[in-house]
Amino acid sequence: MLVGNHERSITSGAAPPAAAPTDRLPARRMAAGVAVPVALLALTGAASLLIGSGEVGPVRSWREVPGGARDPEAAFAVWHLRGPRTLVAMVVGAALGTAGAALQAVARNPLAEPGLLGVSAGASTGVVLVIALGGSAATLGPYAAVLGALLGCLAAVGAARLRGVGDDPLRLVLAGAALSGLLGSLTSVLLLVDNRTADEVRFWTVGGVAGRDLGALADVAPALLLGAVLLLLVARPLSAMALGEPAAAGLGHRPRRARLTAVVAVALLVGGATAVAGPIGFVGLVVPFAARALVGPDLRRVLVPSLLLGPVVVVAADVVSRLLVRPYEMPLGVVTALIGAPVLVVVARARRVPAL
Amino acid sequence: MSLLLRPRAALGGAVLAGAVLVAVATALAVGTVPMSPLRSLPALAGAGDPADILVVQRLRGPRLVAGLLVGAALGASGCLMQTLARNRLATPGTVGIDDGATAFAVASVVGASTSLAPSAMALAGAATAAALALGLAGGAGTSGYRFVVVGLGVGAVLGAVTSLLLVRAPIDAANAAFPWTVGTLNTRPAAAVTLLGYGLAGCLPLALLIGRRLSVLRLSDSVAAGLGVRVRAVRLAALAVAVVCAGLAVAVGGPLGMVALLAPEAARRVCGPYGVPVLGSALAGAALVLLADTAGRTLAAPVEVPAGLVTAVIGGPYLLWLLLTSRPRRLP
Amino acid sequence: MTPPATPPSAQAADPSAVLRADGVTLAHGQAIAVDTIRLAPPPGRLTAVVGPNGCGKSTLLAGLSRLHRPAGGTVLLDGRDLARLPAREAARRIGLLPQSAQAPDGLTVADLVRFGRQPHQGLLRQWSPQDQQAVDRALTATGMTALAGRLLETLSGGQRQRAWIALTVAQETAVLLLDEPTSALDLGHQLEVFELLRELAAAGRTVVVVVHDLMLACRYADHLVAMKAGRMVAEGAPREVVTPELIRRLYGVEAGVLRDPDTDRPLVVPRGLAP
Repeated sequence: MLVGNHERSITSGAAPPAAAPTDRLPARRMAAGVAVPVALLALTGAASLLIGSGEVGPVRSWREVPGGARDPEAAFAVWHLRGPRTLVAMVVGAALGTAGAALQAVARNPLAEPGLLGVSAGASTGVVLVIALGGSAATLGPYAAVLGALLGCLAAVGAARLRGVGDDPLRLVLAGAALSGLLGSLTSVLLLVDNRTADEVRFWTVGGVAGRDLGALADVAPALLLGAVLLLLVARPLSAMALGEPAAAGLGHRPRRARLTAVVAVALLVGGATAVAGPIGFVGLVVPFAARALVGPDLRRVLVPSLLLGPVVVVAADVVSRLLVRPYEMPLGVVTALIGAPVLVVVARARRVPAL
Repeated sequence: MSLLLRPRAALGGAVLAGAVLVAVATALAVGTVPMSPLRSLPALAGAGDPADILVVQRLRGPRLVAGLLVGAALGASGCLMQTLARNRLATPGTVGIDDGATAFAVASVVGASTSLAPSAMALAGAATAAALALGLAGGAGTSGYRFVVVGLGVGAVLGAVTSLLLVRAPIDAANAAFPWTVGTLNTRPAAAVTLLGYGLAGCLPLALLIGRRLSVLRLSDSVAAGLGVRVRAVRLAALAVAVVCAGLAVAVGGPLGMVALLAPEAARRVCGPYGVPVLGSALAGAALVLLADTAGRTLAAPVEVPAGLVTAVIGGPYLLWLLLTSRPRRLP
Repeated sequence: MTPPATPPSAQAADPSAVLRADGVTLAHGQAIAVDTIRLAPPPGRLTAVVGPNGCGKSTLLAGLSRLHRPAGGTVLLDGRDLARLPAREAARRIGLLPQSAQAPDGLTVADLVRFGRQPHQGLLRQWSPQDQQAVDRALTATGMTALAGRLLETLSGGQRQRAWIALTVAQETAVLLLDEPTSALDLGHQLEVFELLRELAAAGRTVVVVVHDLMLACRYADHLVAMKAGRMVAEGAPREVVTPELIRRLYGVEAGVLRDPDTDRPLVVPRGLAP
């Protein structure tokens, strides 16, 4: 026998499985991955209802929560201003969080984020075009946003193949940056051509959920739902693509089809979210980052906490935006950029880029 | 200087220099007062019709110089950045320099707590962004990856600040700040142009020197070290030169989009894929900015289109083409 | 040398499945990489594909695993055209370990092996007790049970490769295709992987492995396929086909071929470049 010790190492493992720990560990992590975000969501949701930039403070708001309208001003603030806005923020956050997780899986790159990759810029350019051409942002916005997001996505994924050195995670991000720059210039051209829309566009390009109502949400609901369904369908192949495309193909998936479906799903989600709230960056970076820390790298597991943490991040950012420059409000996109940039620095400073 | 002796590279350099000359002639010739080179060139030297001399020396000349310098600086800077990041898409803009310059200049224009000249603020903004990125990244790092990504984050925050300033500002102030968000040669503060001239005179030879070292660095760090190149020092020097060039350029013209991306691309096309075409990129950048500015001030006259928008409109389709036509790997 | 005990996973494999390449031509664009190859790797045996760099052996494996659609000829699985089989059904019968496969950080061995059950799952059929049993069997068969909870990046190269093989074993396919599974491993780990592959073949699977190392192929293969420039130049038991002429033809190397007195398998001793 030439290889006694190796032989033994194989057969010794064949002893009766010592109460295989294979199924319990993920279950416990998964429980934490749901419980922690749910608790955070409840907290931020409550904060969003109770805290505002105006006159109605938390105590007055709290008394009004059971209903009854004893304090009409507080009731209005809680249920007509903050309530819808919180709901919009939650939906937008959920869409951006899951889209970020999916995009990172498609690109196999922890830096792949709808904002950094130019997907959000594509969506907002679509909406700006509609505004500039005199269309109604409310009715045409969602379509233009989804279309723009799709173009941004395709350009970014195409860029992932652009010649560079090895499997460099930078390529994708640089392509996104270049694309975002280009689309930003395009928006500037539109502003220059048409001063009339400049003010509306300028306000819209910062991103925010203030004053957005449930009607705006209803306009984009079909896009968001379709995106969510596509994402569910493609979650399994996409998770297998984390092992490399040949391995995924070996497991009976069709990587090209899965990638394309995922890209469409991301475009629908980001386009829908952007049509409601404008470009909100970094949510798709921060959320999957936190979700992976909770439940590990498998996309199918990551999607669950992403769905819950997305709303947490956006709602929390919205609450902060009301408090920073009282009595005014800070644009939401600025707050998420302030939250997201440090995470980006952390990801970049990791000794090597975590493989995804 | 064996790289410069390659026939194709030398020919390419000549072609690009020719392009710069054509751009100069065009810039002098066209405008509200059309002028043939037979009139404009003597006027540049101070001979001929006093009206021509006024137009050329006071109006078109300074703008021409500013365009040449800005383009050359951005081109050289882009070339260095692309080689550093080993990526055709890396530009000084991607590490936040553009966003920093814009944010600070806009802050100055809309009057947020400062009365400094916008161009000085732009320079300060570019320096701040670069320093922040470098500090947060903890050095230039291997292949500049960390620096670029952190710079991207810094740029995003500064971009958000710009948006915030513009939203807060009254519409008039926001419109006044607009040129600083797209890049133009219309303002071109004289002090900033002078500074850029001195800076470029110092940086360009340095960039050429570093470029030759960098061409070895393109292989891999260990190979370069084995060939006796001090990898970290070269990288840091290249970064410093790139940042100084870009910072001085944005102080003159604001963030001129795509120039730093297009100029090295053009230089590689023309000069062939040898070495690091710093000089070619500088020439291509100068020609590009000058042509874009000339087009911007004449095509839609009397409305002046900022040069930054012209370069973006030229560069955009090229970038998209670049992104979408790279051949994918095939899988079922 | 006693044959290893039949691992429990043997029951799951379907011994009747036969993979056959019938005049298969594979091309990258215009360039033909594999030229009309006929091949029928015997079930229950370990088949090794050898040849110089760029001879098309990896492409052949991609063709056998339907990753690469033939430009001519057909790959047949139990007499049915593989290209027409639904992807998932094919993946339930052919397992593939691609070259230099890489997993994301933070994945445990058990997480990785679970992926092998994906071809057996559908929209309505999620994780089931059968899947769990298949994963446990695969871990047992590859001796990875004790390491199931470990993170992949904490394992040695050989252990990691065994975890990947466990993934394909959990797929419970009759055919197992592996592309250079030992390329980055040291000698001990190389033997570890090949011992495992031989066990898997002995359990009734058709195992086809592309190897760089002729010595390993001679030591472990039941059936050897030698390729050069896209064509098959020899096929058969190593002791019959490995000759000095074959080695000269494949690699341009003069070599002596001796017999290992213990195993009666060929030992290749390179002597120098052929003139």
